[in-house]
Amino acid sequence: MYDTAKLGTDVIQTTTKISARNVQVYYGDTHAIKNVNVDIEAKSVTAFIGPSGCGKSTFLRCINRMNDTIDVCRVEGDINIDGEDIYDKRVDPVQLRAKVGMVFQKPNPFPKSIYDNIAYGPRIHGLAKNKSDLDEIVEKSLRRGAIWNEVKDRLHAPGTGLSGGQQQRLCIARAIATEPEVLLMDEPCSALDPIATAQVEELIDELRDQFSVVIVTHSMQQAARVSQKTAFFHLGNLVEYGDTSQIFTNPTDERTESYITGRIG
Amino acid sequence: MTDATQNTGAVAPKSSLHTLDARTKRRNAAESRFKLYGMVAIGIGLLMLVTLLTTILSKGTGAFTQTFVTMEVDLLESKLDKSGERDLEKIKKVTTFGYAPLIKSAFEKTVKTHGMETDLKSKTMAKILSKSAASQLRNYVIANPDQIGQTIEFRFLANSRVDGYMKGRVTRDSIANDKNITPAQLDFVDQLIEVGALTKTFNIDFIIGADASDQRPEAAGIGVAMMGSLFMMLVVLALALPIGVAASIYLEEFAPKNWITDIIEVNISNLAAVPSIVFGILGLAVFINYMHLPQSAPLVGGLVLTLMTLPTIIISTRAALKAVPPSIRDAALGVGASKMQAVFHHVLPLAAPGILTGTIIGLAQALGETAPLLLIGMIGFIASNMPETVGEGLLSPNSAMPAQIYEWAKRADPAFYERAWGGIIILLIFLISMNTLAVLLRRRFERRW
Repeated sequence: MYDTAKLGTDVIQTTTKISARNVQVYYGDTHAIKNVNVDIEAKSVTAFIGPSGCGKSTFLRCINRMNDTIDVCRVEGDINIDGEDIYDKRVDPVQLRAKVGMVFQKPNPFPKSIYDNIAYGPRIHGLAKNKSDLDEIVEKSLRRGAIWNEVKDRLHAPGTGLSGGQQQRLCIARAIATEPEVLLMDEPCSALDPIATAQVEELIDELRDQFSVVIVTHSMQQAARVSQKTAFFHLGNLVEYGDTSQIFTNPTDERTESYITGRIG
Repeated sequence: MTDATQNTGAVAPKSSLHTLDARTKRRNAAESRFKLYGMVAIGIGLLMLVTLLTTILSKGTGAFTQTFVTMEVDLLESKLDKSGERDLEKIKKVTTFGYAPLIKSAFEKTVKTHGMETDLKSKTMAKILSKSAASQLRNYVIANPDQIGQTIEFRFLANSRVDGYMKGRVTRDSIANDKNITPAQLDFVDQLIEVGALTKTFNIDFIIGADASDQRPEAAGIGVAMMGSLFMMLVVLALALPIGVAASIYLEEFAPKNWITDIIEVNISNLAAVPSIVFGILGLAVFINYMHLPQSAPLVGGLVLTLMTLPTIIISTRAALKAVPPSIRDAALGVGASKMQAVFHHVLPLAAPGILTGTIIGLAQALGETAPLLLIGMIGFIASNMPETVGEGLLSPNSAMPAQIYEWAKRADPAFYERAWGGIIILLIFLISMNTLAVLLRRRFERRW
């Protein structure tokens, strides 16, 4: 389905977008993420895999500080985006989240029209000067979200009336409407059927030329299909991180091998 | 197992599905018993509701009709304006006593024109009218001095005994010891009915009018108390809704979860359970004795009811906010909305139907509350009628519907008792329409998402 030969060439050109150093996350007394160091490359897809409760989603939510909304959650260590520490006191998480978009596990369109779903982000960030600007952004985002053709005739119908797969692509379109640089996806296909999953995966692959995509997934096949780099988390540790092809064919760590061969997880 | 396959069909099954075993029978019996209990419970509830409604309706509908005597009155210049100058100051000098002869002669004229036979003196005849008849006449003359010398048809309220006679409350037996009316007067009433001078019609004054003194139950209305209730509801709405919603949004969305917020939360629930009379005495101590706000004023009543309604609104608003799925907040935060934007753009609109319902139900509760109003003296007796009282507003003494009903119920004259029931009907109409509005609004807004 995908041009695997292209993989290698893309990865070589990329530079580090996000770098995490000694990241620790605590939920109250629970040590959820232990000493994670990772460099995520720009304009590529990085997949986080691992068994349930291994901390991959928690780590993902650190990258746009969504964990701030959880009272008991405490993050230590450094996470830099383009060399800037996002946990610096001067950083406003709201501004950060405009730069680091997020797509959630369950499609969660606003109970508003399709148009308003997309237009909401640009509106609050003042990206559009007037109505026609906004129309343009909405159309562009929906096109990039690969859902324009399906919804162009009913932009003012409620977004909640779409099918699950369409809703998830709408959410992706909504996330990219604010022109983020990084796109975080937390198991975006876990609530979708195989056909919708294929559409979303195709979309993720297309998004790679504009965004740095980080995707958390339960499905190893999905990680193998869409990502260039894969990180394997286990019990809060980052066990192994490397090129996807290498992780799936020739893992260095025993635990990674056990997981991808189905012995643990 | 192997036996069964060897001779198929010949083996008697352990049990037949067509006969119920003992355990199933017991289970089914228990289930039918339980259903029966449920139906009995609902039946008792419905029966009580029906009894309540029929009692209220049968006792209260009488208050909406009133007995009137229609007569032609000669507004004699010799009695009302001896000088003939039509000077308003001089006309005003004639008191209601000066009008009594006009009424008496109107009765005499009525008897004569209809050829009725009666032994009653005109003074006794005039007693079947309300005590307000003379002042009604006087008010008319002062408002229309140019009508002096004319003959005008008037509709006078009959007094409460005659009204009770028309409604079956008063009979010839029941008035044996009643010095306000005699059987002879009732005979005269019968004659008046026959000639069509005395009729029972719908009485708008009960709905829009003011309360009347103990002596004139036939003139009492609930309209002014309704205005008092309306003013109080405006105060409650203007204070309780914004304060309640702001408090719940802060507690639900922004406040850190620690022991302070826990204590606040517990105490809000406690406040909801505090008896309303406690709020009444608090209002008396704080608003009237300490802050020196005027007694009996709808402003004070509204403040007390606000205190009482706040917990209800906060609890229902928090429930409505909690019911909004967290994924909506995540979605808003995920596209870079601030917490406040997430709440005001997304969470609040979704919670609005619930908040609205809670507010309306809180208001309905406040509308029917009596005890705190008694303590702050909102049982003011307001004699002035509708147009004047509307403008009086928040700071002048007023009553409220439930307090007015209480006031009527405790007065001695049985005619007031009927008015209390009538007041309850009006109060119930308000409560039912508010609750219906709450249900309709919720339905309407919920459909949108």
